[in-house]
Amino acid sequence: MIRRFISRDSVALVGSIIGLSSVLPGWLTLKPSRIVAGTSLRLWQSSDWEGSTVILGLWLLCFVLSLLRGSKLSALMLGTAANLIIIVTFLLAGLVASNLLEGAAPSARVSLGAGIWMTLGGAYVVIFAARQRLPDSPLWRNLVSWAGLAALGVLLTIGWLGNLSILQEFSGREERFVQELLQHLFLFGSSVAAGTVLGILLGIRAARSTGAAGPIFFISNITQTIPSLALFGLLIAPLSALSFAFPVLREFGIRGVGVAPAIMALIVYSLLPVVRNTYVGFHQLDPGVIDAGRGMGMSRGNIFRKLEVPLAAPLILEGVRTAAVQSVGLTAVTALIGAGGLGWFIFQGLGQAAADLILLGAIPIIVLALLVDAVMRAIITLATPKGLGVGKQ
Amino acid sequence: MIRLEQVTRYYGNTIAVNELSLEVSQGEVCVLIGPSGCGKTTTLRMVNRLIEPTAGHIFINGQDNSQIKPERLRQSIGYAIQSVGLFPHMTVAANIATVPELLHWEKSRIASRIEELLILVGLNPAEYARKYPNQLSGGEAQRVGVARALAADPPILLMDEPFGAVDPLTRERLQSQFARIQQKLKKTTILVTHDLDEAIRLADRIAIMASGKLVQYDTPETILSRPANKFVHDFVGTDRALKRLSRISIQSVIKPSPAIVMDVSIEEAVSVIGSRPSVWVVADDGRFIGWVDMTSLSAATSVREAIVPGDVDEIAITASATLREALSRMLGQGLRNIPVVDEKKHFIGEVTLSDVEAVTAETAETGA
Ligand SMILES: Nc1ncnc2c1ncn2[C@@H]1O[C@H](COP(=O)(O)OP(=O)(O)OP(=O)(O)O)[C@@H](O)[C@H]1O
Ligand SMILES: [Mg+2]
Repeated sequence: MIRRFISRDSVALVGSIIGLSSVLPGWLTLKPSRIVAGTSLRLWQSSDWEGSTVILGLWLLCFVLSLLRGSKLSALMLGTAANLIIIVTFLLAGLVASNLLEGAAPSARVSLGAGIWMTLGGAYVVIFAARQRLPDSPLWRNLVSWAGLAALGVLLTIGWLGNLSILQEFSGREERFVQELLQHLFLFGSSVAAGTVLGILLGIRAARSTGAAGPIFFISNITQTIPSLALFGLLIAPLSALSFAFPVLREFGIRGVGVAPAIMALIVYSLLPVVRNTYVGFHQLDPGVIDAGRGMGMSRGNIFRKLEVPLAAPLILEGVRTAAVQSVGLTAVTALIGAGGLGWFIFQGLGQAAADLILLGAIPIIVLALLVDAVMRAIITLATPKGLGVGKQ
Repeated sequence: MIRLEQVTRYYGNTIAVNELSLEVSQGEVCVLIGPSGCGKTTTLRMVNRLIEPTAGHIFINGQDNSQIKPERLRQSIGYAIQSVGLFPHMTVAANIATVPELLHWEKSRIASRIEELLILVGLNPAEYARKYPNQLSGGEAQRVGVARALAADPPILLMDEPFGAVDPLTRERLQSQFARIQQKLKKTTILVTHDLDEAIRLADRIAIMASGKLVQYDTPETILSRPANKFVHDFVGTDRALKRLSRISIQSVIKPSPAIVMDVSIEEAVSVIGSRPSVWVVADDGRFIGWVDMTSLSAATSVREAIVPGDVDEIAITASATLREALSRMLGQGLRNIPVVDEKKHFIGEVTLSDVEAVTAETAETGA
């Protein structure tokens, strides 16, 4: 009885504790200009007492709910509270930023402080925990996962957050932002596509012949352990040599720096997860199933199309998901060798010590990674044949 | 008809099958049996070319199977294995439809065939056709495996320990079901098993193998009564007299026996019993009900009251049963005679322990 009572959701608890402690550091920073250090304002300093109370109250609610782990209802309440925290936080931030900037010099900025990031981080930990406990209701799961982000999207489009420094960095750079975003999508999309095709071919080859499996895994494991920047560096020399030897190649963008080495390196990185999962996907197939297929007179092609591919598909796609999510992040680094992408803002920001510019690159990358992850998960669910997931009725 | 001629198969230096010759006649069941690793599976898989022989030839209805395209050959031979190998991402219906689809049957023909086969193996089509393999019990999966092997009505059936992975009771049921199906369909069958009782029960001929060689190929009766050498003798074991009983139908020892209906008077009942220990009681329509004996009659005021009721399924036996089943039922129930009923549970006659003993003694003599 007592055990039941104190049985708790430790993940949600961690999230709640992060959330509660977020009241300690500053929530907003008022700076005279974009790169000068400013004054940091705590939660209760940066908003009126009503706002602070709502946020603190919601966090306390989360804390209590995560101690009383129980029904679906409590998971739903947890998720709702966490989403409300996100929404209220952004509502407050937009409002307070406008108030603070009223009458201030045009160069003044209001940026988000550690407290807000902690609250957002804590809220997503809680959301993650709540999601785990709502497995059989896709509607609620999606609502809990995306409501906060959707609200943020609305606030962004109506301009509510326009006075936050990060958006001020954005305004004036819209064109550049769209350009780098598209470049990012292009770099990551084309390399994951190529890596998937190549990885599946190599994975099947490895699964089919024990002789090939050794070298294939040796190479894809090694490349995975080379730091990404080093790999870009390694590619620069041969590629520039190539482009000097055959100047015509430059017309297709094959140079020591730029898009060519970036895509090549990204392909190499997306290879291992796909190769590994394809290999496992084909290897774990029940030999009895394949033997039965052969014994009934299915041709090799038939066995491949009707048995092996559908049965291995969920695992292969899982590998593609890993590769894709990982590539979204890695693509940030390609800006360093002149390939562009959202990483450009990050490195510009680092150079100018402008934290908000860094965020302008980093936040869209995180959102992109979350979206790619969600889309791939949906695809995997669709591609998993009925009968593999269904238990006994 | 299947004929193996001097078939040999090497794996590297180990010889899995060694100059094996074997002929299975049309409509017969040949059971391959022998110690683990003696080459049974290898032999079976060479018939449908899942494995190619190193030397020798295999003829299917007189045609050398190496002259037939493997896919086409396999589509014309039913194949069922111990691990069943149902396709987990397909419904039971789609699994059964595999070969018909490879043969481009029409949809309607496939659908009616699926229904027919599910009924044949004792599964309700409405309930099972749309299930997935992970929703089936082991026994149900095996039956679907057999249905799938029979789907395109192949004249030949290859089965590798098809009832190996289920509990003894289920195996028993699957075996008798297979025996029934085989009686109806008369497929030329090679079946691999580890279970000597299964072999004796299902085989027209048993092929005993050891280290890749055929040691003895004979009817179960002959194998049991005249083992070719010490290996076979040891293999069939010391209880082969008992085993042989499972090849003999009770048909020859069924005796007509008096039976009374419930409404007769006690005096009549007593007179029918005479010097017998008891007499069977049947309903007006002939269904078996139980029995009465002197002790039960003496304590009762009417025959109806004196009846010792008997559960047909527990004490009675059908006319198609074997002596071994009759014997085990007598021993199990502690009865010296048991009633025989037909499929509708109507009383036919009885079998007595002394008659079973007489036959046993007889076969033991001829077998010695
Ligand atoms: N693919 C293979 N490679 C090497 N040796 C094999 C292979 N398949 C079978 N063998 C060997 O050939 C011999 C016969 O094997 P087989 O599978 O035919 O035996 P079995 O009688 O079916 O045995 P069990 O009763 O255990 O199923 C064994 O010694 C086995 O080790
Ligand atoms: Mg075997």
